[in-house]
Amino acid sequence: MPIEFKQVSHEYSPNTPFAYKALNEIDLELAEGKITAIVGATGSGKTTIVQHLNALLLPTQGEIVVVDKTIKSTEKPKNLKALRKQVGLVFQFPEYQLFEETILKDVAFGPKNFGVSEEDAQEKAKEALKMVGLDETFYERSPLDLSGGQKRRVAIAGILAMDPQVLVLDEPTAGLDPQGAKQMMGLFEMLNKKHGKTILVVTHDMEHVLDYCDEVVVVERGKIAMHVSKEEFFEDASLMVKANINPPAIIRMRTMLQEKGFAIPNTVLSLEALVKALKKGVA
Amino acid sequence: MKNIVLGRYIPLDSVIHKMDPRAKIIAMITLLVAIFIDTGYIGYGIIAAFILCAVFLAKLKLDFVWKALKPMLFMLCFLLVINVLVLKTGYVLVDIFGFKIYSDAIFQTLYIVIRLVLMIIITTLLTASTKPMDLTIAIEDLLSPFKVIGVPAHDIAMMISIALRFIPTLLEESQRIMKAQESRGVDLQEGSFKEKVMAILSLIVPLFVSSFQRADDLANAMEARGYNPGGKRVRYKQLKFVLRDYIMLLCVFGLVAGLIATKVTGIL
Repeated sequence: MPIEFKQVSHEYSPNTPFAYKALNEIDLELAEGKITAIVGATGSGKTTIVQHLNALLLPTQGEIVVVDKTIKSTEKPKNLKALRKQVGLVFQFPEYQLFEETILKDVAFGPKNFGVSEEDAQEKAKEALKMVGLDETFYERSPLDLSGGQKRRVAIAGILAMDPQVLVLDEPTAGLDPQGAKQMMGLFEMLNKKHGKTILVVTHDMEHVLDYCDEVVVVERGKIAMHVSKEEFFEDASLMVKANINPPAIIRMRTMLQEKGFAIPNTVLSLEALVKALKKGVA
Repeated sequence: MKNIVLGRYIPLDSVIHKMDPRAKIIAMITLLVAIFIDTGYIGYGIIAAFILCAVFLAKLKLDFVWKALKPMLFMLCFLLVINVLVLKTGYVLVDIFGFKIYSDAIFQTLYIVIRLVLMIIITTLLTASTKPMDLTIAIEDLLSPFKVIGVPAHDIAMMISIALRFIPTLLEESQRIMKAQESRGVDLQEGSFKEKVMAILSLIVPLFVSSFQRADDLANAMEARGYNPGGKRVRYKQLKFVLRDYIMLLCVFGLVAGLIATKVTGIL
């Protein structure tokens, strides 16, 4: 089931002096079973797009089809819970939503809200905690005593325990150390490859886009400026320049070498490929 | 929640906006006192006309004032019910199967509502036409004579300005947490009583945690920049009374003096 935006607009506080149009008639189709990156400058509308996916925000115009449900501007969708169970949304800095006395209880909170029995919810919570790399010594601790990175993992486990088909993450690695960020992205890749989850990531980190994503959506001032495959996006450096994005190190290196006269094809997207191409050129 | 108008500053260019905040606070307090003088419907009519003129001068839309008053409707109903049940004086207005509604019940309610409505309009006018920062400076200035008897004017003003500063932040924060919990299946509208308690808990606990965190961070940031509540400081923004402030205060005092005079002499 693809996710489809049809002519969607969203205006914040309409009919007031503070009215602000965050999305302007966007069309977007996101394929199932892929990791899609949403990139763009701050204030371009990324978060607004993401919050439409589980009907936290309703479009002021147009409609969205998500997991066989249609969210329209004209009517409030029924059965929101079913939709929210299918589309798990992890907010920016999700650690601020923890509230239960123990970590296990907090992670089991989501599934319990969706009508899962107490025991099953605990089971799911344990599974989710294992996935994010927290063992049973954490179960009975208070989520408020953890470090920032650990809190983040608990919060993400809280969404994973709901077992959503589509996982939407708003800057999941912001404020994490490079090692933690890498682990986090690795986890999402595993969920995509092994469990077939559709994953959407809002991110500023082009290295992550290059390493983990399949498709790239560029948002610019409330419009979709570009929607291309990762290869297409990184092969043509001018696309990044156009989108005002600082390319990842390896792409910058490739461009620099090309400018110095090295014959390196644009298809080079990794360090290994770059080394290979250079060796070939020297030989 | 974005529609909260109580205490919100509306940036407009008007005479009232330009007035000295100290003059505005004095005028507000004077008018509030005047409202508690029982001058009958005519007196309240005069005060209402005066206040509406001020609203008009501040270029505020009546729609905005109405929004500020809306929460009062509940209060009105509540008062009406209590008064109808309790007050048994005056003449009988309606008699439904022996249950009598007396005239005083209605008039008393009307009286209280008129007072409340006027008070809310006056305070809304003040907050809508004065930047929160100016307001706190004015409060500090007005309280400074009381420093002699140990009133910590600066500390009070600082507390008020910090509280005001964080209202929008906390609103935003609570909205964010609400959305996050809604994503986890919390339903704030429906569900059993137990579920609702849980839903509210899931909102309040994180809000508390982050408020304390913020307070701690703010205190540290202030200390890091050498803030000392007892320190002597000067201000960038100097307040000054000009002609329009004197004229406004004169009008307000004149009005209140007139009302008191009529009350004492018994004309009204």
